[in-house]
Amino acid sequence: MALAWRDLVDGLRRSWLWTSLAQQDIKLRYRGSLLGPFWQTLTTAAMITGMGVIYSHLFHTRTQDYLPLLTLGLIVWTFLSGLLTEGCNTFTSVQGIIQEIKLPFSVHAYRLVYRNILILAHNFIIVPIVLLIFPRPIVWWEALSIVPAFALIAINGLWISMLLGMISARFRDVPPIVLSAVQVVFFLTPVMWPVEALGRNAWWGQFNPFFAAIDVIRAPLLGNPVQPYSWPILLGVTILGGGSAFLLFTQFRHRLAFWV
Amino acid sequence: MSYIRLDNVSIEFPIYQGSSRSLKKALIATSTRGNLARDGLDRVMVRALSNLNFELQSGDRLALIGPNGAGKTTLLKTLAGIYEPTQGRFHSVGKVSSLLNTQVGLNTDATGRENIILRGMFMGMHPKEMHRLAPEIAEFTELGEYLDMPVRTYSAGMMVRLAFAISTCVAPEILLMDEWLSVGDAQFLEKAQRRIEGFVLGSNILVLASHSFDLVEQWCNRAILLHHGKIAMMGTVKDVIAGYRELIEYGSLEHRVELGEPAMQHDADAA
Repeated sequence: MALAWRDLVDGLRRSWLWTSLAQQDIKLRYRGSLLGPFWQTLTTAAMITGMGVIYSHLFHTRTQDYLPLLTLGLIVWTFLSGLLTEGCNTFTSVQGIIQEIKLPFSVHAYRLVYRNILILAHNFIIVPIVLLIFPRPIVWWEALSIVPAFALIAINGLWISMLLGMISARFRDVPPIVLSAVQVVFFLTPVMWPVEALGRNAWWGQFNPFFAAIDVIRAPLLGNPVQPYSWPILLGVTILGGGSAFLLFTQFRHRLAFWV
Repeated sequence: MSYIRLDNVSIEFPIYQGSSRSLKKALIATSTRGNLARDGLDRVMVRALSNLNFELQSGDRLALIGPNGAGKTTLLKTLAGIYEPTQGRFHSVGKVSSLLNTQVGLNTDATGRENIILRGMFMGMHPKEMHRLAPEIAEFTELGEYLDMPVRTYSAGMMVRLAFAISTCVAPEILLMDEWLSVGDAQFLEKAQRRIEGFVLGSNILVLASHSFDLVEQWCNRAILLHHGKIAMMGTVKDVIAGYRELIEYGSLEHRVELGEPAMQHDADAA
């Protein structure tokens, strides 16, 4: 237990290592391209424009109402799905490093979460632009709640990448399972459509932790009230998930080097 | 002051292959218990190291000798703290630098210069410190303009130069090396040896696994012969090399040392 805790703390202390590794990951991904990491921004912007125009017709809503909702939904979802799918490779993708140098295992999880935060930051540039074109009745002091919301999602990213990373290192059929699950969840979660569209079945969205994560970011920036269950669900998931991931880590930390 | 001590250290690990990698099969196996457990989890347990006892102190330059699969690399990984002993106790004092693989921390798409900083960071050095040390490292590698090219264009020997120069840029207290070093050319090996001698004189520990007896005789003052994960012999380099030749010739040292049970065992009823 103490060793597992020390792994997490020591990992956190090496922030200079995982921040520069994450930055380099992104730098190398776009090396030699004109726009660099802003390709990410451009790709997301193109997708949102295209989908925004077509889906607002399909859903019979006005583009100026739909586009901000879609923008925020997709950007937060990209962050969540990135954490989930890359979380499976937390340890297997750095197999060589684990086998060669003694490092806190958590370093790899911090790196992964930080890298996804950087991608999120590049995508998030689109949000103020969309909100300038299609203004929403935002209460500014309420919108500040997205700061703790993002922090909480990042903490969730940490335990998800530790947990999925460990399980996937041991069982190699987990990554494809997670990948398909994430795709299914995308269509079952109010990402591209408002939770109100569920009508009397709104509970389906309200009790969905993925929706909770989107809602605590999206609602304040659209000037809407946050659903009553979103914060409690997100907090509950953090505590439960973080706790079980930590327990599993204490149990299997010393086996991890043999698994990868 | 550096120090390494192994008390009865054993390392046993499962080899996961084929179906034992599968979550579905593991679930079926646990839910039905009985016969399926054997089919679902065909784990093979490898006892890579068994009951090792030895002690190293400052100034010791230990050679690990043994046939392929004797456990040399596993022992190096244990000394580096990567593998935790499944039995026994391992104790070490001193900053460890391991050169087990030239690739590590070397991002092949990044340039040699970027990799100096990168590998240094993996070794626990702050980027600022690495930027300060970089010119010296660059000079030691003698790679010149190649340092601005992506590492994937390097030859094996060039990789060795780069990795060695980085890993030894700050005199490590405990240096662990696997046999790949012999890829370097004669001139570089000489240079590497001078550097290693430099910090072994500064009372440090070197552990080198190698098949090159010339290298071992030049660099080391103690040796261990590993066979099937056990210490078959420990002593001066000369004696141990003679023991190794005997081992190859007769297949074992049984007329000299008790070797005991085989190192591989099948473990069907896995957890």
